[in-house]
Amino acid sequence: MNARRPRRDKENQIPRKKRTCRFCDAKDIYIDYKDEKRLQRFVTEQGKIIPKRITGTCARHQRQLVQAIKRARHLALLPFVSDTIR
Amino acid sequence: MSNAKRLYETTFIVNASLDDPQVDAVIGRVQETVSKNAGAVTAVNKWGRKRLAYTINKKTNGFYVNMEFEAPGLVLGQLERMFQLDEMVLRYLTIVLDRRALKARAAAAAAVPPPVPAEAAPVTTREPLFKEPDDQKKSS
Repeated sequence: MNARRPRRDKENQIPRKKRTCRFCDAKDIYIDYKDEKRLQRFVTEQGKIIPKRITGTCARHQRQLVQAIKRARHLALLPFVSDTIR
Repeated sequence: MSNAKRLYETTFIVNASLDDPQVDAVIGRVQETVSKNAGAVTAVNKWGRKRLAYTINKKTNGFYVNMEFEAPGLVLGQLERMFQLDEMVLRYLTIVLDRRALKARAAAAAAVPPPVPAEAAPVTTREPLFKEPDDQKKSS
């Protein structure tokens, strides 16, 4: 029989890594609409903007990111939708 | 109206089926519009032909041009009108370079010195401002 799973209370919890905003960590990065490769990381394969609760970006930088992504979309640097996967 | 000049950046997509001289003619027209209206073009950056992320006017490729200029706000209306009338321009985007952008640009310029400062030409071309740190990691 399989052994009973050890209970997790507050003392023996697996410490979860704290996510930090990567733009706050690297302060000199300017979120630029021309930088399509960087922006691509914050967009799903479908082309949707990934929410900050998943990427861990802070609110201020998420706002800048969203603006940059939308500008890049206007200039056809990023897709509005990409439905290559069927 | 205030005549204060601001630094703007405009990126536009020219029809890629044009020949290079014709593309240059379009760029020349844009520069002329800016300079006629008391503006000064500070940098022209041709990204060249690139694939569009989606089709615009049934076209899949475009010639990207990025331009920086210092001008009073009145120029923007003229420029916009010019872009809209010009059928060879597929898309355009003009933004004000804010303090953050200028700071990042200064930092990038300090990191990558311009190849040869062309003194004869008033308009200098520059490399793309951003570099991919991850690309370098992958290659090494």
